[in-house]
Amino acid sequence: MTKLIEVDAIEKSFGKTKALEKVSFSVNKGEIVGFIGPNGAGKSTTIRILLGLIRADGGSATIFGKDVWKESVAIHKRVAYVPGDVNLWPNLTGGEVIDLFLSMRGAKVDKQRKEELIRRFEFDPTKKCRAYSKGNRQKVALIAAFAADAEVYIFDEPTSGLDPLQERVFQECAKEVLAKGASVLLSSHILSEVERLCDRVAIIRKGVIVESGTLDDLRHLTRTQITLKTKENISSIKEQSFAHNVSINKDQVIFQLDSDQFDAFLSYIQPFNVLKLESAAPKLEDLFMRHYETVEGVE
Amino acid sequence: MMQSHARTGKLFAFTIRKEWLKLLLWLAGCAFYVILGAVAFVEVYGDPLERQAMAQAMQNPAMEALFGRAIGIDNYTIGAMYSHTMTIMGFVLFAIMSILLVVRNTRSEEEDGILELIQSLPTGRLASTTSAILLLVLTNTLLAVMSAGLLIGLGDSSMTTEGAVLTGILYGLVGLIFGGVTLITAQLSSNARGAMMLSFGVLGLSYMLRIIGDSGGFNALSWISPLGLLYGAEPFVENNWFPVWVGLVLSFVLIVTALGLKHRRDVGAGLLPDRPGKRHASVFLKTPLGFLLKLVRTPLIVWVVAMILLGVSYGSVIGDIEDVLAGNEIIEQIIAGDDSVSMADQFIAMIMGVLAMAASIPTVQIILRLRSEEKKNRLDKIIAGARSRTSVLSTFILTSLTVAFIFQLLQSLAFGGAAVAMGYDIALLDMVSAGLAYLPAMVVMIGLTVMLVGWLPKASSLIWLYLGFAFILLYFGGLFDIPEAVSWLSAFYHIPEMPVEEWNVWTAVLLTIIGTALTVTGAAGFRKRDID
Repeated sequence: MTKLIEVDAIEKSFGKTKALEKVSFSVNKGEIVGFIGPNGAGKSTTIRILLGLIRADGGSATIFGKDVWKESVAIHKRVAYVPGDVNLWPNLTGGEVIDLFLSMRGAKVDKQRKEELIRRFEFDPTKKCRAYSKGNRQKVALIAAFAADAEVYIFDEPTSGLDPLQERVFQECAKEVLAKGASVLLSSHILSEVERLCDRVAIIRKGVIVESGTLDDLRHLTRTQITLKTKENISSIKEQSFAHNVSINKDQVIFQLDSDQFDAFLSYIQPFNVLKLESAAPKLEDLFMRHYETVEGVE
Repeated sequence: MMQSHARTGKLFAFTIRKEWLKLLLWLAGCAFYVILGAVAFVEVYGDPLERQAMAQAMQNPAMEALFGRAIGIDNYTIGAMYSHTMTIMGFVLFAIMSILLVVRNTRSEEEDGILELIQSLPTGRLASTTSAILLLVLTNTLLAVMSAGLLIGLGDSSMTTEGAVLTGILYGLVGLIFGGVTLITAQLSSNARGAMMLSFGVLGLSYMLRIIGDSGGFNALSWISPLGLLYGAEPFVENNWFPVWVGLVLSFVLIVTALGLKHRRDVGAGLLPDRPGKRHASVFLKTPLGFLLKLVRTPLIVWVVAMILLGVSYGSVIGDIEDVLAGNEIIEQIIAGDDSVSMADQFIAMIMGVLAMAASIPTVQIILRLRSEEKKNRLDKIIAGARSRTSVLSTFILTSLTVAFIFQLLQSLAFGGAAVAMGYDIALLDMVSAGLAYLPAMVVMIGLTVMLVGWLPKASSLIWLYLGFAFILLYFGGLFDIPEAVSWLSAFYHIPEMPVEEWNVWTAVLLTIIGTALTVTGAAGFRKRDID
């Protein structure tokens, strides 16, 4: 596997604040890597270093084997980027801006592909940018990125502001470029999106990569939130090894379930006459909390 | 290094596309200024005797503080008169154009995150700054060519081709220099507002150095100031090209330094440190007034300091006027018409008007802040709270009124205090009343602004055109023949020029009523209309 993006022990400080501490990870050709972490963890800082917008204080970062700061222009010809917060020139139309971005790449604009994306994202390119909502400004950047024939796509919380339907369109588009052999780095704090798309994830917290690996590797760390209502009293669930943080409110039980213990859980509740069963996918916070509990447990 | 400029051409073409209308309007304004000067002097001062009398009147510290060192006095041709009286104000106007242009195309875009998007495309690290520089150079070249052409076409025989070309080049250079200064401040500050304030600070400082240098006899200070330096070229009089070379080198150094700074720094970062803010909102901030004051605090402080310095600078030259004019009855007659009115008092009256207009800028800005909050979609958050539109608007209006009052009080105190300290015989109280007499005109300014914000929000900035018009009337009114009907349109024109004229209660009351009526009508519009 060729590594298209390679980050090796990069560091960055803003004044006295240390934003990144020896961050290392890589993205292989044809793979999509989720880059997750809470607000202020250092996701955007890392991405801005990768784009040559800011300069790392130490370590090395390369894309296509080229230094991200020194050879940014050559790299950017083959990279497409979408930030989480897109601001545009108020007096130009969305269509104009898309064309401008594409023409800056120097390559010929694939008109058909552009039109198709505009249709799929249900975007009106004739309005002035000042009239667009956050989600629509986001679409301008997304359409310009997907219409470009890039080899590496870098997304920094690209779906913030999109509705669930458009979020789905984004995911389809991401899969399509993957199928064409491109690589994607997707920074997000929406775990479900990362789960649906990513082969591997890197988790960053307070400027340090705390975990990276395939999603299956990490899944053992996750728990699912279960809300349960039964006819019979089920307070004995407290003693079960798969249940954590159990709280019982009248006849309703809420607890965290180890995600690999669903089977044991289902056979256990059978006799209690289940009235209602809801399970919520683990949120990123849950993953983090779970993750830190484990790390502390090991130490 | 070539890589740093990749796709500058494409980006520049795009920059022109988004800027051409603004530049056209600015250049039209500049052209109007040049035409006004050239045509008016040829029309009004055709008679050499009249010009020579004017030359005599110009030779005193007060006039030099206003217009610049008296030049070409021995042979006060139309050209000399143009150079002497139109140059400094023109410089300030052209400098402002370039400062705004550079901030708009550099730090503003960076602050909005647009630069990040552009730089993530295969464009060089310096491409966007370089295209802003190209735009700056293009604009000022157009300004130079246009001004030179207008002067050659409209001037009389005293306006030589060499002088006209030199004038044009000076106009372009002043833009290049202050554009260059702004390119540097855009690297220093991490936000557009800060960069703009630093640049205006440099412009203000240059202006004050020039006042002290030109009228206080410290010539060296004038030469340190870029405005004073370029003024020293004296087109149509000396045609001195030395300042042009210095100016070109200075612009070049500023631009290259800015590019160097930009190349090294991170996108989004400023070279000056940002201070950490407060964790909690203070009790005061939670009140409507406290909130508004917090929004406009820093600019207000800068304004107050600048206005006091300006008042002191002007005040300190008053004492000298009497000395220069003592015994010269002819001049006093020409200027005052009758010798019972002193030249210095006339000067005081005029400066009071200038200061009042300057103080109108922050006054109007407070009301316009309401509009800019609206444009940034923040107004709805305030109005959506428990506050009615009327109460939000009245907070802005009351603050604006208070600012007008405090500014007039402080700057007339500074102006008068300096005059008294220099030994000029006038009561401080008279100076303060002369300053406060302008308040009714400022109420009209506030009223007009509220009208625009209430009924024509998209055209709110037209108020600056009106203020500029009033300023030209006052500043050049003594030089040009301006029809009474035109002057009449300016609210400031009606204010009695104390201490030369008597205070008139009816004018004050009438203007206040007009201003209040405009405000109330404007507020009604604001209550009814959609919030953007």
